[in-house]
Amino acid sequence: MDIQFAGEHLLPGKLGQFFIILTFGTALLSAIAYYFATIKDTKDDSWKRLARISTWVNTVSVLGIGICLYYIIYNHYFEYHYAWAHSSRALPVYYIISSFWEGQEGSFWLWMFWQSLLANILIWKARSWESPVMTVMMLSQLFISSMLLGVEILGTRVGSSPFILLRDAVEGPIFSRPDYLSLIPDGNGLNPLLQNYWMVIHPPTLFLGFASMIIPFAYAIAGLWERRYSEWIKVSLPWALFAVMVLGAGIIMGSFWAYEALNFGGFWAWDPVENASIIPWLTLIAAVHVMLAYRSSGHSYFTATFLVLISFVLVLYASFLTRSGILGETSVHSFTDLGMFGHLLAYILVFFFLAVGFLVARWKELPITKKDEETYSREFWLFIGALVLTVACVQVISTTSIPVFNALFGTKIAPPADVIQHYHQWQVPFAIVISFISGFSQYLRYKNTDSKKFFKKIGLILIIAAVVTAGFAYIAKVHNNVMYVVLTFAAIFSISCNIRILIDAIKGKWRLAGSSIAHIGFGLLLIGALVAAATSNVVSLNTSGVGFGEEFDKNNNSKENIILYEDEPVRMDEYTVTYKGDSTEGVNTYYRVNYKVIDEKTKEVKEEFDLYPHAQQNAKMQTIVASPDTRHYLFHDIYTHVSSVPLKEEMAEHEDHEGHSEDEGYEKPVTYEVSPGDTIRYREGVIVVKGVNRNATIEKIPLKAGDVAIALQLEIKTHANKTYTAEPVFLVKGGNKFDFGKTLVDPGLKVRFSNVYPEKDKLEMMLYQKPKAEKKWVVMKAIKFPFINLFWAGNILMVVGFLISIFRRNKEIKTTD
Amino acid sequence: MKKSSIIGIIIIAIAIGVIISTYADSSTYGSFSDARESQTELHVVGQLNKEKKLIYNPQEDANYFAFYLLDKQGKECKVVFSGAKPQDFERSEEIVLTGKMVGNEFQASKILMKCPSKYNKDEVEIQEVQQTAA
Repeated sequence: MDIQFAGEHLLPGKLGQFFIILTFGTALLSAIAYYFATIKDTKDDSWKRLARISTWVNTVSVLGIGICLYYIIYNHYFEYHYAWAHSSRALPVYYIISSFWEGQEGSFWLWMFWQSLLANILIWKARSWESPVMTVMMLSQLFISSMLLGVEILGTRVGSSPFILLRDAVEGPIFSRPDYLSLIPDGNGLNPLLQNYWMVIHPPTLFLGFASMIIPFAYAIAGLWERRYSEWIKVSLPWALFAVMVLGAGIIMGSFWAYEALNFGGFWAWDPVENASIIPWLTLIAAVHVMLAYRSSGHSYFTATFLVLISFVLVLYASFLTRSGILGETSVHSFTDLGMFGHLLAYILVFFFLAVGFLVARWKELPITKKDEETYSREFWLFIGALVLTVACVQVISTTSIPVFNALFGTKIAPPADVIQHYHQWQVPFAIVISFISGFSQYLRYKNTDSKKFFKKIGLILIIAAVVTAGFAYIAKVHNNVMYVVLTFAAIFSISCNIRILIDAIKGKWRLAGSSIAHIGFGLLLIGALVAAATSNVVSLNTSGVGFGEEFDKNNNSKENIILYEDEPVRMDEYTVTYKGDSTEGVNTYYRVNYKVIDEKTKEVKEEFDLYPHAQQNAKMQTIVASPDTRHYLFHDIYTHVSSVPLKEEMAEHEDHEGHSEDEGYEKPVTYEVSPGDTIRYREGVIVVKGVNRNATIEKIPLKAGDVAIALQLEIKTHANKTYTAEPVFLVKGGNKFDFGKTLVDPGLKVRFSNVYPEKDKLEMMLYQKPKAEKKWVVMKAIKFPFINLFWAGNILMVVGFLISIFRRNKEIKTTD
Repeated sequence: MKKSSIIGIIIIAIAIGVIISTYADSSTYGSFSDARESQTELHVVGQLNKEKKLIYNPQEDANYFAFYLLDKQGKECKVVFSGAKPQDFERSEEIVLTGKMVGNEFQASKILMKCPSKYNKDEVEIQEVQQTAA
């Protein structure tokens, strides 16, 4: 059956699919050509030329895929599954970019794009290393491009193409209609949580990090392959630093996104997806340190090579974890399974066995020293530091891999019930050891050091660090936990040691600045993370106005959410918090929450600000997707998100169902007997009886002689200082009594002038109040994160430090060339 | 003995400790009856009983959320969570609870939902489409 479908744009998809095949083909050709260029030691450059040309075609073709896919998403061609699944017409252009890499296919493309860019740089810069290094690079490119193929080979589909049509991807009766496209007015849109500016730049940075991790790996393989055992370490060092810097920046952006846009209330949750990206980062950092040790002392060759190789294998393992669907029950935000389990596994195994194979084949030739390192030598402690980092990674890997063990051995082990605590019990001691080493090893020389001089220098810094720690631990309130105090001390010690080095660097040894800045950043990061995570407190818990005890236990089944009614101030911590209403902008509803600090004595408002946590309401599904808003101070943050809000449509429906009589929706009326001048208190304010209007009129009811119409002049003042007036009317017509109540929508009141008692000189008034629930409310949670800026500042310093180091190590290559 | 060999042994010992701790700390997946028997924290995987109402009245208590879950054996139990109702809860297809049994209620300390939300499921919203087609 061949249906002519109306309105489809098939050309960009066909073109895109062609580019995918071309990318795959040229990657294959290039890898083969580079392989022969490496092993054939001829003067003839023909293999290399062929390899270069296919790499260039590959790059153009990768760009072609990107342009086609972008064209499809940008023009809202929802006949393509990718555009339909990840974008919608309402998306602004910068989020169209994020929807581009929301899906697996788009993120593979991103990886491939960076890899081809790096490949071109290598062609330009790698000189004698080009052929072997590029063989490995293009092999990796081959694997990634195969993930996008989406073609059937021997009955199984290989890869998943972003150019698949909606009607081919999804089954449905509508796809037998030629005009089905007219029934699909819009795409599914981008997950609202990803509609954040960090999501525009976080994925490209992260994937540049992942892509650049292959370069040190490729150099290591090339070094083993061509027996240039020592040389490769030197030339790949700047690349290793580059990968560490970019991947680090990418991870931090993700963490900042989580903090700014997700409401799990923190910057790191030890989620498997987060762990997957930090593991290769840590192993490569360890690798960089032992590479330096080898270069300066000849020790730790195997450790350096092994760590470089394993880092890239772990990158592949990370993408296997996040993309194969294996994390299933343990992670909230992994990709959905695209049926690429075996494919991803093959990618890891090929690179793993490539690494192992070369190590085994060259084992006897490796320049491994038989000598023992001196205890007072830098290389020894670099080695120890790298090992501790590696063991720290082993811990993260083993817990993160629980679902993998389950799949391998058919077990049914669940992750630890308290994941955070489980990680911290290990990672805090590791961090302490690493901090100490990163401090004192700065004062050790390669080969050997005079221990007396060393202790003299260290001793002074230890004393300074102890004093600073005592003060800081007290201010930051971490002095109750021994481990926390020790970690703070270790981090401050490391910072102090490195500041000393930095001062020397500024005085002249500029080239040392990179390392000391990075280490200072690392120390600050640890302190910031520790204090922010350990002493963050939920301020929305505090309804009584009494401060928390310091022993406040976060796991104490605490009640962390609080309900705020509109215009009713609630005291939290030092703040007086008032919900001031909501406003809608596009798909988001912003809830204005006003924070005030009021001086106890003078009652003056010392500080005031509004936060706008927002939520996307989905009326049909009756759900909300909430995002926090944060007030940043220099020394702490106030973080607020709504946990629950009244659903707009639902409320309207409510009235529909129950609105049988007019008085429904109000609480039972209260009857008052009043005289002019009286003041009545009610729940949300006061009602003043101003007087009686004896000449009241009622619309559409003409008054005859003998009829009496009188009105009660009321003034209502709410606690929020709003004033309303109302004149309920009492009518005697033809001997019958009637009354005409007045409804005041805003304060949620209805008043009736229901009777007159001339004998008592009293007037009867009935007051109906909306039950509290009908008032606008939000349930929110507010958390105070102290010293979180140390964490961000530390991160930034670390990246800056890496950058300086890249220049230094790059210059070293040039000067010795 | 070489110093690095000694260190190697220490490192391996720590690594083994780490792995043992992973299993010592690890929890188990179970059913509500397992939870009743063991009285310890464990993970229960199940589905929301959508026929029974979710109980969440922020006006009364913003930190009390209760619902009924059917575990993998089809047994139903009331689950209580101290906190606000998680977003997208109604649409969850599968729920993983961490917690323990207290009396006849399962007190959850953590709720993890698998939502085949509209952002990651291939389900053209046929209902809407049929309306326009008719």
